[in-house]
Amino acid sequence: MTRASLILKNVDITFEGALSSEEGLKSWLKRKLLTRNVDTATNYRIEALKGINLEINHGERVGLIGLNGAGKSTLLKVMADIYPPTAGSVSIKGHVCPMFEFATGFEMNQSGWDNIRIRGLLLGMSADAIEEKLPEIAAFTELGDFLDYPVRTYSSGMFIRLAFAVSTSINPEILLIDESYNANPASMTATLKQLGREKCDRRIAVLGEMRELGTQSARYHADLAEPVLEAHVDAAILVGREMAALAHRLHGEVDVRHVPDSAGALKALEEIASPGDVVLVKGSNAIGLSGLVREAAAGRLAHGKSACSM
Amino acid sequence: MTSVTRLFIDSTRALKMWRVWTYLGVQDIKAKFHRSFFGPLWIVLTTGFFVTGVGLIYGLLFGQPVHEFLPYLACGFALWGFIVASITDASATFVRAEGYIKQFSYPKQIYLLRTLISSVIVLLIGIAVVIPVQLFFNEITPLGWLYALPGLALLIMAALGHIAVSAYLGARFRDFPHAMAVMLQMMFFITPIMFPIKLLHEKGLGFIYQFNPLYYLIDVVRHPIIQGELALPENYLYAGVYVLATWVAALLVAYKLDSRVVFLL
Repeated sequence: MTRASLILKNVDITFEGALSSEEGLKSWLKRKLLTRNVDTATNYRIEALKGINLEINHGERVGLIGLNGAGKSTLLKVMADIYPPTAGSVSIKGHVCPMFEFATGFEMNQSGWDNIRIRGLLLGMSADAIEEKLPEIAAFTELGDFLDYPVRTYSSGMFIRLAFAVSTSINPEILLIDESYNANPASMTATLKQLGREKCDRRIAVLGEMRELGTQSARYHADLAEPVLEAHVDAAILVGREMAALAHRLHGEVDVRHVPDSAGALKALEEIASPGDVVLVKGSNAIGLSGLVREAAAGRLAHGKSACSM
Repeated sequence: MTSVTRLFIDSTRALKMWRVWTYLGVQDIKAKFHRSFFGPLWIVLTTGFFVTGVGLIYGLLFGQPVHEFLPYLACGFALWGFIVASITDASATFVRAEGYIKQFSYPKQIYLLRTLISSVIVLLIGIAVVIPVQLFFNEITPLGWLYALPGLALLIMAALGHIAVSAYLGARFRDFPHAMAVMLQMMFFITPIMFPIKLLHEKGLGFIYQFNPLYYLIDVVRHPIIQGELALPENYLYAGVYVLATWVAALLVAYKLDSRVVFLL
């Protein structure tokens, strides 16, 4: 087996172009016909990444942490060979499995089964391997009879389950995971597991509600109880209405505080956090928990070490 | 790595993944006729209605014997539909695959081949309509169908060139498919599909088809099927030159735009 590696040298990514009203033929003609400089106000130029040097070797696990808009997803797309770098070089050894967007890239009118096959093929599985793993993947999606339905009838939570089941069924040499889109049961479980491995006095989990999970939302939230308990969480601050189901389930097992919003979460956190605690913050972007992380990082929380993952 | 070597590597990688693009192409056909009662039979029906309607009227108008004219028309109609699809429908190739292109790192060429597969399936069903028409008039020559194969290969290669050019330009310029639709509509009237070339000859208008590359693409497939013999050697040559031209154009366009496609979607 080749030793997988990922090397980025001086990578820049610059997004350049015209604003939507000036796109295509119009801007092209303008550039061709007008010899004078075209008004640059209608053009944009964003330096998303600049001078990135990175070497990740076989067996390493690397986490990317940053605020919204920091360029995490862009960097991941460069590492996955989806965005060609504007400058610099990218060398990828090994088969890459990207897990970026769980909400797009479906054939809406085709059944869940067909979509599993298509995603499997696009992720590099052979047709035989897919057929072999089909029952296992199907079981993991927990979608049951819904797999026979065209996926346009699915709720967004069901899309995530389907995509996640396919992605996790393969053993790639390089796995890239982006969680930017939304919090989902799978990513919540994964980060809680990581929290369980941290060595510390107390573990505090600040969990924002997961949006857009459809009719089964309450169940998905309640199902998080198990990973929370397994991670030996001492105190949980649950944010948002949808979290009611989980709060109910955890009641009496751990110190639970159910708050309506990010401000409430900050207040609750200030009350319970003490030096030596590890705090996990996780939730959909829409909940605005990034504000809380910023406060914590700025030292507004008098004490405590915070491990944040958005 | 220069763009050209990268294009070459990507293309060979894409070809090797035939399982992926054949599957996607076949799925596209299934999706197109999803929940329709007649399904792909609609391709047959479209050709059938066109040929009967237009065939009877134009046959009378141009004074053509029906037993020769109807198979000619059916064949030309199916081939023309394929050429149109390889230019206008193909413009949406990358746009349609946006969800895939933005999250999987596979060579973009698989989406070109996917479009080719679904267009070829439609072509094969459409051209099969000629068989019952020929049988009905007792005009069929099985050997002619065999002779059509080299021409068919040229036509499909030209279509791949068309698809590549249209897919890249269609992603860059969203006016492209509309402009092409207009142009092809004009071409439809000057390409010998609804009328035989000897009519043009009689009126001294031979140049109308002689300078039309699409005529040669059609002729190298249609002539063997209808006449039961190979087309004129120079027609294969012209069709071949056109294939080369489309591929050079495709290479240029891909060279310019391949790395930018993901940002254009």
